[in-house]
Amino acid sequence: MALLETIDITKVFGGLTAVNKVNFKLEPGQIVSIIGPNGAGKTTFFNTLTGIYSPDGGEINFNGRSLLKLRPDQIAARGISRTFQNIRLFGEMSVIENILVGMHVHLRQSPIATLLHLKGFKNEEAEAENKAVELMHYVGLRGVGNELAKNLPYGAQRRLEIARALAADPLLLLLDEPAAGMNPQETEDVTKLFRSIRDDRGTTILLIEHDMRVVMNISEHIIVMDYGEKIAEGTPAEIRSNPRVIEAYLGRGAVAGQHEEKLS
Amino acid sequence: MNRFVQSINVNELIRPLGQLMVFSLGSAIALSGIALMLALVLDQTAVGLALQDKYNVTLYTYTLINLPQVVIDGLTIGFVYAAIALGYTMVYGVLEFINFAHSEIFAVGAFIGVEFLIAMDSSGLLRSASIGMSYLLLILAILLGMVAAGGLAVTVERVAYRPLRGASRLVPLISAIGVSFLLQDVIRLVEGLTTGDFNRIFPSFGNFDQRLNFGKLALGATNINLGISIKSIIVIVAAMLMLIGLNYLVNATRIGKAIRAVAQDRHTASLMGINVNRIISITFLVGGLLGGAAGVLYALKFTRIDPFVGFFPGLKAFAAAVLGGIGNLTGALLGGIVLGMLETFAGSYMGVFTMGAAGSEYKDIFAFSILILVLIFRPQGLMGENVGQKA
Amino acid sequence: MISMTIRQLFEQINRGYWPYAIILAHIVLGTAMVYSTPRSSIAFLVLITSFFSLYYFKADIRFKIIVGAILALIVIPIVGVRNIFYLEVIFQVCVFAALALGLNIVVGFAGLLDLGYVAFYAVGAYLWAFFGSQQFYVLHFAPGTQPSNLPFLLPGDAFYLFLFLAIIVAAFTGILLGLPVLRLRGDYLAIVTLGFGEVIRVLANNLDKPLNFTNGPQGITPIQRPTMPETVVEWFNNVFGGMIGHKASTADLYNVMFYFFALMVIIVIIFVTRRVDDSKIGRAWTAVREDETAAIAMGIPLVRMKLAAFALGASFAGVMGVLLAASRTFISPESFSFMQSIGVLSMVILGGSGSIPGAILGAATVTLLNLQILQGFSLYLSELRQSDAVIPLINFAWRDLSTQLDPAKYQRLLFGLILILMMIFRPGGLIPAKRRKRRLASDQATAEQ
Repeated sequence: MALLETIDITKVFGGLTAVNKVNFKLEPGQIVSIIGPNGAGKTTFFNTLTGIYSPDGGEINFNGRSLLKLRPDQIAARGISRTFQNIRLFGEMSVIENILVGMHVHLRQSPIATLLHLKGFKNEEAEAENKAVELMHYVGLRGVGNELAKNLPYGAQRRLEIARALAADPLLLLLDEPAAGMNPQETEDVTKLFRSIRDDRGTTILLIEHDMRVVMNISEHIIVMDYGEKIAEGTPAEIRSNPRVIEAYLGRGAVAGQHEEKLS
Repeated sequence: MNRFVQSINVNELIRPLGQLMVFSLGSAIALSGIALMLALVLDQTAVGLALQDKYNVTLYTYTLINLPQVVIDGLTIGFVYAAIALGYTMVYGVLEFINFAHSEIFAVGAFIGVEFLIAMDSSGLLRSASIGMSYLLLILAILLGMVAAGGLAVTVERVAYRPLRGASRLVPLISAIGVSFLLQDVIRLVEGLTTGDFNRIFPSFGNFDQRLNFGKLALGATNINLGISIKSIIVIVAAMLMLIGLNYLVNATRIGKAIRAVAQDRHTASLMGINVNRIISITFLVGGLLGGAAGVLYALKFTRIDPFVGFFPGLKAFAAAVLGGIGNLTGALLGGIVLGMLETFAGSYMGVFTMGAAGSEYKDIFAFSILILVLIFRPQGLMGENVGQKA
Repeated sequence: MISMTIRQLFEQINRGYWPYAIILAHIVLGTAMVYSTPRSSIAFLVLITSFFSLYYFKADIRFKIIVGAILALIVIPIVGVRNIFYLEVIFQVCVFAALALGLNIVVGFAGLLDLGYVAFYAVGAYLWAFFGSQQFYVLHFAPGTQPSNLPFLLPGDAFYLFLFLAIIVAAFTGILLGLPVLRLRGDYLAIVTLGFGEVIRVLANNLDKPLNFTNGPQGITPIQRPTMPETVVEWFNNVFGGMIGHKASTADLYNVMFYFFALMVIIVIIFVTRRVDDSKIGRAWTAVREDETAAIAMGIPLVRMKLAAFALGASFAGVMGVLLAASRTFISPESFSFMQSIGVLSMVILGGSGSIPGAILGAATVTLLNLQILQGFSLYLSELRQSDAVIPLINFAWRDLSTQLDPAKYQRLLFGLILILMMIFRPGGLIPAKRRKRRLASDQATAEQ
């Protein structure tokens, strides 16, 4: 059974149809990329999946249940975590606390236990802290637990955002342009990180990315969007040779053969 | 000169007038209908009987007799609210910021205008003034109030808001609350030191207190007086002129275009060569000018002012701006008129309809209840568009 | 440059046994000054600031707790009963400190600008004012027309019950108001809470008809206090009589009692605030304050978290309301104006939004400025007016100064200046909030490898 399935999902802003009847399925344990030109509706699609926008039509099923009518926090609690295109960390909080916020849905101690510092509360907090440190190390950050998130360098902030998303133990991880603004070395490192997240934890990953090295390197499946519609999907090899994709990227009448260097 | 005349866009001058007519008539008819219907329903109940006992008049007749005056009062105060609301809406439209001190800008305008007239009065000029002269002096008072309030608004923006641009949303708001409080006491201090009294009275001169009577409307045994005080006419006409002027400025001039550009997207506007700081200053200036004029008009209508005079009109005007759809000029007009009407109707009839349990003393919080209801059920306001939330 | 040298000096002193000596000297000096002068702002300032040397200097935590307890529980009551003026001032400081701490949860931690905070204070105050007075039997009388021999509805000791009831009622009011409006954006929320505060005040002013619940603008009096056994008064006089210099009356001891209650509430608030702030709720508040969209994507239920902050802040104000009603035995709508809300806000902003010591410092500073400096200035001016003094150069006789100029009434000026100046020059406040450093043993170990 598919982990995530959208049926005819549609989102309209005023007269603009940002996402138009997109159907797609995501199998558990896959790494899937969404690509497409700027303004193709990729981020809107993410925002619709995570409940920031409510869709104007269609159906979203996750793990066998509908996500429609759920608030973003309820959707997060069902097991979808995300990162943002323009990093959105809690800048005035420390690195560890950012990760702890990610664990919010799993911390279950009652207000009474919190006030009285009962044993259950102390154990839970200590465990959470340990787990947060582990996650921090897992994404490659060391010795910065007490730093304020806003003081981290750019690449580290991207990693921290991934750690925060992982803290919720998601079934599905949505990454919105995770390699944007990174140099080739950093890009290669995070690409490895994504693969190991899937391999170690079994987390399904859906990412939006413009960097074709990343996309072609780790995706098992690629979805191409343009003008709010899904125009193609398939394996990296299939996408590379799909004429509609080439047209979307290079415009009509593009000479076949020119696309190769752009897409590979 | 010729080019100037050509460049005047007649449509932009007439359109707001039409809107004003529609809004005023619409809200007057709707509210009158509701009041009369309630009166008919309640006439046979204990409410109607109590009134019959006391004044020997049916509730329906009572409501009807008072109706013309209520509508005119509602319209007058509605136009004042609309003029203040425009200041809030202008600033909000451009900066997404609630200029909490706008109510004190309004108060300063009122004080300057009234102080000027009091000075004229004590020099004996008012008593001897002809009708034409008294109108001239009133216009002068309004202009002085406008200049003072406009200058103050620009100064406040420069000193207390501009350094905070770019900080989180609540920071300039807190500063604005501080300015509001500070100005209240500064007015009190200045008035206390110079005149020894901070409750000032609008001097009585000219023919502003007279009533124009249109005649009587016979209705069975009772006569309804149809009339309007000259004050109210002045307030309504002046407010109309301001609204038309503002509408023209924003929709048909270069500066207006720049203001709208900055409101749309400050960053892009600056890339297009618009001096954003200057446009923001102009926005505050225009809001202040309108607020100052509204202050003098308010003083003309209600006679007594004190340093805290801005507080409630300011809040109600803000409620009106939100009701109409904040950031939307036409909405501010509509909100002001509707709110002024609603409030006057409630103030006039609620006491009778509830047999004195809840009367006009609740009219000040009436606006808040509307504000809360609007924000909950239609946060974009009556005329606002439902814009998608920014992610 | 200058602040640099002061900091260096402070660090020079702040080591070894110096802090202990300085703290004790400060306390002894303050106590002696307050003990010997009946109404001196300076003496009071010296004593009250000893809490801050206790807070800032490095000393053993047990020493700090013990000295602080002695100062608050023994020294202040004694000097306070000796010069009841001081006890009144410190009681006011405590009341406002509690309110500021409560508002700090809403504004500082959750980032919700609440401009009608004293509404909840009013809810608590009117709750006890209604049930703890004769008002229940006045329901059918217009204000001022009731017979004088009406009974009280409840015994005075029901006060203790109402301290807890007020928590529930005020929290409930907070949730009731919050549910519809907490979805709103921050600036709208501010205006709506302002409106709510005004609604409560107008209701208090006008709910004297059709049934007389609040007695209108005249307010409710007398409101009962819990009983004070004679034996306590006697015991106090026997033990401390010598130091006080006169026989303490029951009224004096009531003042001490309410001071203790206020202190207790403050301690509870600090305790609760710190524990909650250091849990997932506190982290959620900070996250919501920093970035709502990111917070909600992390599974944080926005409205529920905001409601929690709102209700918690409201409940503390409710308790203080009950305390105020009982200690004053009189309340009227005047005490719950918009200006009071802004006053409490300016305390929070001055001290540092989100900072517990900041809220206390802010409350103490603003209250002292209000009660001591502004009023002192007023007194001074009226003395000048009585005298024949003339301002040299401009040849202005003080007696010509308008009597309208009464600095004690210029609180708005004070609050306004505080808000503007702090926002422009020091938005973090005098004592900015600090986030707790975690030990993170496992992280450090690997970092050093």
